[in-house]
Amino acid sequence: MATTQDLKKAYLSIEGMTCASCVAHVEEALKGVRGVKGVVVNLATGKASVDYDPAQASLAAMKKAVDEIGYKLVLNTANLQVTGMTCASCVEHVQKAVGDLPGVTKVVVNLASGSARVEYLPEITPLSEIKRAIQEIGYGAVERAEGQEALDREKEARQREIRRQGINLIISWSIGLLVMLGTFQPYWFLPSIIPEWMNNKVLLFFLTTPIVFGPGRQFFINSWNGLKRGLTDMNLLYATGIGAAYLIAVINTFWPDAGFGGREATFYEAAALLTAFIILGRYLEAVTRGRTSEAIRRLMKLQPKRARVLREGQELDIPAEEVQIDDLLLVRPGEAIPVDGLVQEGYSSVDQSMITGESIPVEKEAGDEVIGGTINKTGAFKFRATRVGKDTALAQIIKLVEDAQTTKAPIQKIADKVAGHFILGIHVLALVVFLFWFFVGYGLWFVPESRLILTPYLLAGMGVFGFALLTSVTVLIISCPCAVGLATPSAIMAGSGKGAEHGILFKGADAMEATARLNVVIFDKTGTLTKGQPSVTDVVALGRLTQDEVLHLTAVAEKNSEHPLGEAIVHGARERGLEAEDAESFNAIPGHGVEAQLDGRSILLGNRRLMAEREVALDGLVPEAERLESEGKTAMFVAVNGEPAGIVAVADTLKETSALAVKELHRMGLKVAMITGDNRRTAEAIARQVGIDRVLAEVLPEDKANEVKKLQAEGLKVAMVGDGINDAPALAQADVGIAIGSGTDVAKETGHVILVKDDLMDVVAALQISRQTLRLIKQNLFWAFGYNTLSIPIGAGLLYPFFAQMVSPELAALLMATSSLSVTLNTLRMRGYIPPIRRSRARRGQMAVPARQLAH
Amino acid sequence: MKIHSVGFLSALIYTTVALTAAGLFLAVTLSGEYSWVARIGGAGWVFLLSMIVLMPTVTSLVKRKHQA
Repeated sequence: MATTQDLKKAYLSIEGMTCASCVAHVEEALKGVRGVKGVVVNLATGKASVDYDPAQASLAAMKKAVDEIGYKLVLNTANLQVTGMTCASCVEHVQKAVGDLPGVTKVVVNLASGSARVEYLPEITPLSEIKRAIQEIGYGAVERAEGQEALDREKEARQREIRRQGINLIISWSIGLLVMLGTFQPYWFLPSIIPEWMNNKVLLFFLTTPIVFGPGRQFFINSWNGLKRGLTDMNLLYATGIGAAYLIAVINTFWPDAGFGGREATFYEAAALLTAFIILGRYLEAVTRGRTSEAIRRLMKLQPKRARVLREGQELDIPAEEVQIDDLLLVRPGEAIPVDGLVQEGYSSVDQSMITGESIPVEKEAGDEVIGGTINKTGAFKFRATRVGKDTALAQIIKLVEDAQTTKAPIQKIADKVAGHFILGIHVLALVVFLFWFFVGYGLWFVPESRLILTPYLLAGMGVFGFALLTSVTVLIISCPCAVGLATPSAIMAGSGKGAEHGILFKGADAMEATARLNVVIFDKTGTLTKGQPSVTDVVALGRLTQDEVLHLTAVAEKNSEHPLGEAIVHGARERGLEAEDAESFNAIPGHGVEAQLDGRSILLGNRRLMAEREVALDGLVPEAERLESEGKTAMFVAVNGEPAGIVAVADTLKETSALAVKELHRMGLKVAMITGDNRRTAEAIARQVGIDRVLAEVLPEDKANEVKKLQAEGLKVAMVGDGINDAPALAQADVGIAIGSGTDVAKETGHVILVKDDLMDVVAALQISRQTLRLIKQNLFWAFGYNTLSIPIGAGLLYPFFAQMVSPELAALLMATSSLSVTLNTLRMRGYIPPIRRSRARRGQMAVPARQLAH
Repeated sequence: MKIHSVGFLSALIYTTVALTAAGLFLAVTLSGEYSWVARIGGAGWVFLLSMIVLMPTVTSLVKRKHQA
């Protein structure tokens, strides 16, 4: 049995999904493939995230499963120039070597042109592996120029869909409007401007038929494909609605006495406009899908194509993907930095806004880190590559954002489940409504003078079957939740993209939703609220020792410590000209202090608890320690040979934005707490300075997670903000772990939310983006779901007994299309969104926000 | 049970049930004053909607039973 570690993850692009039911079908089909352990499909991205056991599941099997249910797996195609092939058996060899790779579904090798066309999935088998497989059997393989266009394949597929639906839209609307004018010719003022022959039923039949079987054909084909495999989707609702309206019209045209209302009730305009409105919805959804994935495409475009490498004294211009670790690279002004690295010589300023969201260029000199994908502004410099390919910061960020976009928020899981059952439920309801109006309603309430809302039709000629059928069809159309499939994922994509734009990376849709629901934010003190670079402020000596002697001894004890306070003491001693020699022995006591031996003297340095444990009497030192602590300083007691020797006080400085961030969080209605290993007095002094209302002091590193748990037990949704390494258990325990200042190695972070910059205001921005996204999701779900649901009783004829008015099928379709339009427009609003905290900082000049964005 | 027999069994069940529903509808209408168009058209609509409702539910039920 495969363990979790044996499992691999692949992201498959699926073409042809149109609604939440499609998502369920694809998920089910992929789950049915042997060796596939988990599948999450996102309608907005058109992607399926598949966890699979490579020993059992193959890409070919997944492709087959997806193809079988009527969808299409989008694969990359590479055109390779293969050199060294001389005969048919060479073709066979290359074919087999490439065909056996796990991520390749198809390979066609052409001896005459010396080429190989490979259909593959780069997440499973990257192109470099395909080339290596060919090279290993003795042939040469290089990528043909057109192969690089494969990156845009997904975009092309989207544009194809937009174009297809656009053509359908033009056909259905242009002819549909003619049908409508023709149908309504005898009414209102229309006889004076429209000739009578336009109302000829046979002409209307010939105008409507191409709409139903042209642009509308997709609904019949898709629903039939689904039904054959026992699957229902929204296409079925459309097909039954359009089909029934068209059928009634045809019967009334050619057999007017059949009891469906006669020639005066030919609903050609209903069939035509119904198709037109549904296609309008489809078109809008295709446009939304394209727009919401722009963020990821923008990130991908940042990846530079070429690099200038210095090898053996020569400057070579090579593809960026061929740069290797330790290569020396040259970057000139205005060029993009191809990979991550360390500056070796030169000086320049670099625009890192695309990665960190910070648009003020950052100065770079020898020893500084540079990030691939950022733009060199002023000078030229040389740097050594430290991370290449999929390990670069940009590649990691793209993967994180992609991962986030393929996950499902808890709210979406509920929506998908409901949508899945909704369609069947609607058909059951349509059946019940039909039976009710057929056997009960028509006899009780039918009034021959009644009308369809907003149409001139009198229902006088309508028989019991025609009336019940009309109501049943209207229910089918009016209740279709066609926009529900896009409602949540499109908002999540827009939100996660917006986060990435500001250097805030959400690891999943669930993280984004949880962030929006937070009640408490706990900040770690050292390195999070403070700069994490403390310095020695006071030295108190007791007895015969001088201040310098006390500091010297503590520096010796802390020399091997990696704790920031220890480093501060060693640094402080050095500043006073005291060089700390190596201790004979050293022992760190986590959360308490250190002990060391020097020249036969035992040095103990730490907090009250440590001194109490070692039975060191602190009587003379306590008042002085309390004074220092009340000033927010960390007082560390020093004991030599078991006797109190003095105090060394160290203080850390607060970050410039700490107080402002806390204030903003309070303003947003959150409680803010601070967690620290410091004693309560020091912690409270710091908390007072930044305005924090709850202090969790004297907490050992291993107990931080327990403190988070205690707050969660109070029913609070807790975020822990800290650095991703030291605070990992607490970050993992929190509802949302926010790892701050991770820099460029984002993949190693433990948190659910990764902040690239070391800026507490990004915590506020993360909350604002996630809240805005959740707000958007709720609004979208309302427009997609609630709106239709509210219309169902009206469609079912609830108003008829009181007002003798029925909703016509085309009005039902208009209501349905309105929900798609609302979702589309609502989601697109996120494109111009700037977190308020960024907007206000930009106004204060602390951070530049592009003028284009501020204009929104 | 082979895969194709699962499909056949499902089809047999849902078609039978849908036909029964349509037949029942027709039988009820015979006791009232309905035209034949209404009777046959109504029975057809009941059959269609019943098939749409039953096809996916019966197929997945039979599949589940087969897998168990």
